[in-house]
Amino acid sequence: MEWIGLLNYAVFMAIFIGIYALLAIGLNIQWGFTGLFNAGIAGFFAVGAYVSAILTSPYAEGRIGGFEMPVVIGWLGAMVAAGAIAWPIGKVCLRFRSDYLAIATIGVAEIIRLVIKSEDWLTNSARGITDIPRPFGDLPYVQSQLAYLAIVAAVLLAAYLLVERQIASPWGRMMRAIRDNETAARAMGKDVPFRRLEAFVFGAALMGLGGALFAHLNRAITPEAIDPMVATFLVWIMLILGGSGNNRGAILGVAVVWIIWSMSEILTDRLPAEMAVKAKYIRVFLIGLMLQLVLRFRPEGILPERQREAEISTDSAK
Amino acid sequence: MRKSSLAFVGVLLGATALAHPASADVKIGLLGGVSGPIAAMAPAMIDAAQLAIQQVNEQGGLLAGENLVGVVGDSGCNPQNATDAATKAVNIEGISAMVGPHCSGAVLAAANSVTIPAGITMITPSGTSPEISKLADKDTVFRTVPSDDYQGRALARTLLERGTGKVAVAYLNNDYGKGLAEAFKAEFEEKGGEIAGFAAHEDGKASYRSNLAELADGGADTLVLFDYGDGTGLTILRQALENGFFETFIGGDGMKSDAPIRELGAENLGTFYASSPVGEQSAGLEAFNAAFKAIGGDPNAIFVTTSYDATFLAALALEKAGGDKAKVHEALREVSNGEGEAILPGEWKKAKELIAAGTAIDYKGAAGDHNFDANGDVPGTYALWRVEGDTFAVETEMK
Repeated sequence: MEWIGLLNYAVFMAIFIGIYALLAIGLNIQWGFTGLFNAGIAGFFAVGAYVSAILTSPYAEGRIGGFEMPVVIGWLGAMVAAGAIAWPIGKVCLRFRSDYLAIATIGVAEIIRLVIKSEDWLTNSARGITDIPRPFGDLPYVQSQLAYLAIVAAVLLAAYLLVERQIASPWGRMMRAIRDNETAARAMGKDVPFRRLEAFVFGAALMGLGGALFAHLNRAITPEAIDPMVATFLVWIMLILGGSGNNRGAILGVAVVWIIWSMSEILTDRLPAEMAVKAKYIRVFLIGLMLQLVLRFRPEGILPERQREAEISTDSAK
Repeated sequence: MRKSSLAFVGVLLGATALAHPASADVKIGLLGGVSGPIAAMAPAMIDAAQLAIQQVNEQGGLLAGENLVGVVGDSGCNPQNATDAATKAVNIEGISAMVGPHCSGAVLAAANSVTIPAGITMITPSGTSPEISKLADKDTVFRTVPSDDYQGRALARTLLERGTGKVAVAYLNNDYGKGLAEAFKAEFEEKGGEIAGFAAHEDGKASYRSNLAELADGGADTLVLFDYGDGTGLTILRQALENGFFETFIGGDGMKSDAPIRELGAENLGTFYASSPVGEQSAGLEAFNAAFKAIGGDPNAIFVTTSYDATFLAALALEKAGGDKAKVHEALREVSNGEGEAILPGEWKKAKELIAAGTAIDYKGAAGDHNFDANGDVPGTYALWRVEGDTFAVETEMK
């Protein structure tokens, strides 16, 4: 193995972390800042991935498509579609309290998954959509990976800065007020249901964008990618571990979980060959153990939410 | 906490770098769905692949006696884990060829984003999706298992040859049933047959009489049934026989189960036929069965033969290519194109000598001859079976 191999691997991990960071930031808007327990991340991820795939892929017999639009249009379409799907779902489900909302969103994500798995004309059902264009995908291996990393990093940076700005604004303060004390926020005249819906749609759009980036990376999207384990619960683990309510924590959580998950396989590969298969299960255990430890000893996550103290105004005392 | 977690990551990174001894081993990636939905199937498949590697090493190893090593990766039956495992196998382990991943979605993702750009040859033993044939793969993606399309199409041609021009089709609404039914329908209609009824049914209902009545309305007297003979397929077959909806019944490989014979009796199944892969009596399969039993494996487990063949073929191609990763895909076609001295499973020494002497060889594997077509696919070898006594007997070969 040469340094180029290590570089390739590092670049791949960085791309992956970038994509999952978008999902984690989307969830952070919903859970970390607004307190909405969305357990249906996979659904919005899927909508984004498939919408972008349909918009940009060439014609294929038996399913809708052949629009061959530019990739950027596909990504914007993915965000719009994921947000648009989130709107009616939020309208109906956000009236539930947190745990019921979780159940409702799991259900919605399953409905989306089953629709994708059975509707031939729309998604080519179980076989998925292939031939999705990948920006700079024609370059040699290393260069195309680096180019995609640059795109993902740029998208993530833009999303991060915009969300940070939004959260630091009065809007963000209002969201935290709704999360911490809904009654008080309502008493202050805030339109709580509408604001929660806003956060839900906003977060879902970012999840859709993450899905689109994922589909274009692999040039293919199949229902196997939207399994709740890898597309919902993994993101939750990342966010909780990194620190909900803090976007940098969310990104760090993604990086830590993914790096440990991925690299632990390299370590287990050093075990004797007879153990090679069994050793794979240790990794699953490792992630669970890590989450348990963090929840036990550091429930606020590795990078907890910054406590913003109110500026004490001397004027009002007079 | 932040520092300690960073330190932990650092240790992992360091361990990765250290864990990388420069060795003369030649590595083959064995990617499989070790965790995830096919976790129950994967270990046997990987054992079969390891058997091939073990035989290579016992009989002189690769090239100048180098050790062949199988690097097991967990592709988890999803694209996320598959691309991760493939990236590690290609870049960190430096594999020369890849066997796997097991699931079609994992194959598509790993091929598109890792092995095709990196120029590594991939042979999947169990990805059956027709989409894999369409990959723009620079001829580097192969499989030792037939695409779902083949069986359905072969069955359609066989029925037309036998003079059945009008059928109704009932299929179980899942990947398996749907894939077969659609391939069958496309080929049957293209070749001039008439589909008088075409309907999916859900699993596990008590009565399918209304579904059957609707299908029978089309006027066909032959029912093509893509389902499982020990599940819903049995219920449908029973109810169709009891009520006389159809005269002749044709099933896919899922219907070639002992359950209908046991439950309905051979005397009632005189007009029941099922298609299924053959090769069951080949010398290649016997050689594999004996060797796999000797290491404690179950040769009847699903996809073990294709896994073994994929690995053995990868080793043969590596030997033929002189260990050059970039030439493995060309060499793969040369070692199994139907021309040359036959090599059976386990005959590594013989193959190695023949390759060294420059003689053409042709691998005849446990799961078939594996003469790859232009897409890197293998045509399945299927036969139509009839019920005879308490078991199935070949009625005709399917082409």
